[in-house]
Amino acid sequence: MPAVQETIDQVREIDVDQYKYGFETEIETDKAPKGLNEDIIRFISEKKQEPDWMLQWRLEAYRRWLTMEEPTWARVSYPKIDFQDIYYYAAPKNQSGPRSLDEVDPELLRTYEKLGIPLREQEILAGVQKPAADNDEASDNVYASGRVAVDAVFDSVSVVTTFKAELAKAGVIFCSISEAIREHPDLVRKYLASVVPVSDNYYATLNSAVFTDGSFVYVPKGVRCPMELSTYFRINEKNTGQFERTLIIAEEGAYVSYLEGCTAPQRDENQLHAAVVELIALDDAEIKYSTVQNWYPGDVEGKGGIYNFVTKRGDCRGARSKISWTQVETGSAITWKYPSCILRGDDSQGEFYSIAVSNGYQQIDSGTKMIHLGKNTKSRIISKGIAAGFSQNTYRGQVSAHRKATNARNFTNCDSLLIGDQCGAHTVPYMEAKNATAQFEHEATTSKISEDQKFYVMQRGIPEEEAIALIVNGFVKDVIQELPMEFAVEAQKLIGISLEGSVG
Amino acid sequence: MNVHATPQLTPAETALIEAFGERLGALPGDSEVMARRDSAIEAIKAGLPTRRVETWHYTDLRRLLSKVPEFDATSSAKALDPLLEGSGVVTLVNGAVSGTPVLGNGVSFAPLAERLADGSFAASLETYGRDDAIGAINAAFVADGIALDIAEGTELEKAVELQNLQAGGQSHVRMVVNVGSGSRAVIVERQSGEGAGLASSVSQLQVGDGAEVTWLIVQEQPETAQHLAQFKAVIGKDAKLTLFVMNAGGKLVRQEVLVRVAGEGSDFQLRGVNLLAGDSHTDVTMVLDHAVPHTGSVEVVRNVVTGKAHGVFQGRINVHQYAQKTDARMACNTLLLSDDGEFSTKPELEIFADDVACGHGATVTEIHGDHLFYLMSRGVTEKTARGLLVKAFVAEVIEELEDEQIVEALEARLDAWFATHG
Repeated sequence: MPAVQETIDQVREIDVDQYKYGFETEIETDKAPKGLNEDIIRFISEKKQEPDWMLQWRLEAYRRWLTMEEPTWARVSYPKIDFQDIYYYAAPKNQSGPRSLDEVDPELLRTYEKLGIPLREQEILAGVQKPAADNDEASDNVYASGRVAVDAVFDSVSVVTTFKAELAKAGVIFCSISEAIREHPDLVRKYLASVVPVSDNYYATLNSAVFTDGSFVYVPKGVRCPMELSTYFRINEKNTGQFERTLIIAEEGAYVSYLEGCTAPQRDENQLHAAVVELIALDDAEIKYSTVQNWYPGDVEGKGGIYNFVTKRGDCRGARSKISWTQVETGSAITWKYPSCILRGDDSQGEFYSIAVSNGYQQIDSGTKMIHLGKNTKSRIISKGIAAGFSQNTYRGQVSAHRKATNARNFTNCDSLLIGDQCGAHTVPYMEAKNATAQFEHEATTSKISEDQKFYVMQRGIPEEEAIALIVNGFVKDVIQELPMEFAVEAQKLIGISLEGSVG
Repeated sequence: MNVHATPQLTPAETALIEAFGERLGALPGDSEVMARRDSAIEAIKAGLPTRRVETWHYTDLRRLLSKVPEFDATSSAKALDPLLEGSGVVTLVNGAVSGTPVLGNGVSFAPLAERLADGSFAASLETYGRDDAIGAINAAFVADGIALDIAEGTELEKAVELQNLQAGGQSHVRMVVNVGSGSRAVIVERQSGEGAGLASSVSQLQVGDGAEVTWLIVQEQPETAQHLAQFKAVIGKDAKLTLFVMNAGGKLVRQEVLVRVAGEGSDFQLRGVNLLAGDSHTDVTMVLDHAVPHTGSVEVVRNVVTGKAHGVFQGRINVHQYAQKTDARMACNTLLLSDDGEFSTKPELEIFADDVACGHGATVTEIHGDHLFYLMSRGVTEKTARGLLVKAFVAEVIEELEDEQIVEALEARLDAWFATHG
C-alpha cells in the first residue's frame, strides 16, 4: 500500500532543498597544498606535532593504500574520485589545535552558535539562553539545551573541547585525537587500529594515512561518564576532504554515551568524508554511540553533496560488554557505512538501530555487521529505510555465528518505505550460521509481529492496522527513549512516520 | 565472468577448455550455435566465479569445482520408475536422448540435438551475463536434450517426466518446454545417477497465457556427483507456475532458479526442500523478476543441514518500477542439526515500485527443546522424536502442493532420504 500523507509531508520537510545548514563561514584558512603524497602526510603530521611513530604509521598506511583498489560492491554509483584534487588539510588560521574559548576566532564561534552548538561552558552551566536572533532554526537542534560536552571539529582541526576539566575530575579523558596522540601516546598506541586494522578497506587505509582530527574518549574502570559526550563535525572549506578518526575506550564496568553530529555548506562540488570510528568495550562496559548525520545532501538535481564513506566498528572485547549504535541518516549525497559489532566477549551484546531517509538523488548503502564469536552473545538490528524522490536506499547487513559462538542469538528487522515510483529500496541481508545452537531471525514485514501481541491489542477494540503500528512504534520508541533526550526529540519526529505501506 | 584477472587456470578450468577442444567436432550446431559455444568457452577461459563475484559469494565455484571427469562414451544408467505412476517418460542418458518416448495427445517431442543442428534453438543458448557460469558451461558443451511443446488448450491427464541420468563422466543437457495458452501440465524433472560425474542441466520453460504448470525438480545425485543446474521460466498473463525443488544428494550442487513474472495477473509459487548430509555443498539461488503490475509470488524454502554440509540459499526479488500491486513473500527456514554444519542465506529485495507488499523472513535454528520435550514426555525416544520433528518441518512444505499423488510421491522420496541419513 502507498505511504500515507503524514509520512510524505514529514519526509518532504527534510527534502534536499530544505537543507538549513548550508551557509558558509568566511574565515581565513591554512591549507596544505592540494593532492596526496608522502610530503602531505609529513606536513599533516608536523602540523599536529606528532611523534615519529605516528608519522611512520601513517606512511605505512599510505604505501599500503597505493596498492589497494576502490570497493565496488556497494549499490552506489558516482564518478571516479580524483584523490589528487583534494586538500587533505585545512584549518582556520592561527588555529592549529584546541585552545581556550577566548582565543577562538569569533567568526568560528558564530558558526557554532548558528548551528546551535553550545561551546560556552559557563553560559551552559548558568543556564544562559543563546541569543535567539538568528538561532530560531537551530532551536530544536539536538545541542540546543542540556549539558553536553562537545568537541567541535572544523575542517581538519578540533577548535575547542568543552567540559574537559569537569570530566577529568571523574577520570574521563575527552579530547581531540591529535591531543591524545601527544598527551596519551600509550593508550593511543595500544588501541588505535585494534578494531579497524590499517588495511581493513580502501577508505579506512586512506583515513589511517591522512586523518586530521576526531575525538578520543577514555573512560576508566568502573566510571560512569557524568555527561553526554559529543563531537560536532563541520566541513567548511572548498575542495577539502575530512578524515575524522575517533577512538572510544570503555574500561571494565565503565559507561559512556557519545553523540556525533555533522553538517556542511551547500556547494556544487562533491566533497569526501572518510572517517574511521573504533569503539572498545572491556568486561561489563557499555558504549552507546549515536549519530545524527546531516551532511549536505546535494541540490535537487543531485549536484554536489558529501560522499560519506565511513568505517565504524565496535569491539565487545570483554565479557558482558555492550555496544549500541544508533543512527539517523538524512544527509550526504552518498552514504557507505556499516557500524558493526564484533561480539568477542562471552555474553556480550550488540545493537544497531537505524533510520535512513533519502531524498533527491541521494544514495544510501548502509547497515551493520554482527559478528558472533563468543558464547551466549546477542545482537539486535532494527533498520528503517525511507526512500523518496530519485534516491536509492539499501540496507546491507551481515550476521554471522562462528563455530564457538554457542547460543548466539540475533534478531533482525528491516522495513523500507518508498514514496514515489522513481526511487528504489533494497534489502540485502547476509546470514551465516556455523553453529547449531545459533538462533537467527530475520524479518522484513510488519505482519511478522507476534500474533499474541497483536491479539492482545486488538481484543481491546483497536483495529489491526493500528495495533501493528502501535506495537512497532512502541518498540522503536523504547529504543529512542534510551537516546540522549535532545536527540530523541528530533528522532521521534522521524520515527513517528507511519509504518503503513512498509514493503519489507 | 570473473572481474579479477585470473593469472592461472585451475585444473578444472583447464580440463573444461581441453574437453571443449576435443568435443568441438562432435557438437551439433549451425554457425550461430557454434559462435555462441565459442563465446561461452571464452567466458570460462576468463576464470570460473569466485566468492568475490557477489552472486557466487557463498559458492566459490573456482575452488569447489575440484575435478572435471572426462567424457565417458560407455557410461550408461538404469532408467528410474517414474515418480508419479503412469507418467510419460523421456529419458536422457549420458547427455543424449535414449529411446522414443510415448507422450499423450497435444504433446510433441523432438531431441534437442536436431534443433541445435538446424540452428532454430540458437538464441536459447544465450547466457544472462558475466555471472552465468552454469549457462556458459552448458552452452559450450550441450549436445542433446529435450524439446517439448504442449499445444494450446491441452489439459494433460498424466504427468510428463524428464529423466536426466548420469553415471560418471560428464553430461550437459537442456530441456526446453513450451506450454501453450490455457494448458495444464505437471512436469517432473529427475536428476539422478551413479558415480562421481559432472552434470550441467538447463531447463527453460515458457508458460503461456492462462496456463497452469506444476514443475517438480527431484535431485538425487550420488554423494560424489557435481551438479550444476539452472531453471529458467517466463510466466505469461493470468498464468500460474508452481515450482517444487528437492535437493537430496550430490557433493557440489548449485540450482539456479530464474523466473520472470511477465504477464499481468500471473502467479509464481516456489517450494523448496534441501536435505544436506556428509560434506556436501548445496546452493539454491533464485532471482525473481516481477516485471508487470498485479502479480504475486510466494517462496518457501526449508533446509535441513547435518554432518559437515554447507547449505546456501540466496533469493532476490526484483520489483520493477511499473510493477505496482506486486505481492511477493519469501521465507527461508533452516534447521542446523550439527556443529560442523553451516548455513548461509541472503534473501534480497530490490524494489522500485511504491505500491507493493513484499516481505522476506529467514531463520536459522536447531530443534526447539520444548517440542522435543513434548514428544519425549509421551514416551517417544529422543532419536525418534528428533526424526519426527525434522520430517514434519520439511513435510509441511510438501503438503502445500495439495495434489495427493504428488504429495505422497514426494514424501516417499523424503522417507528414502531419512532412511539413509536419519
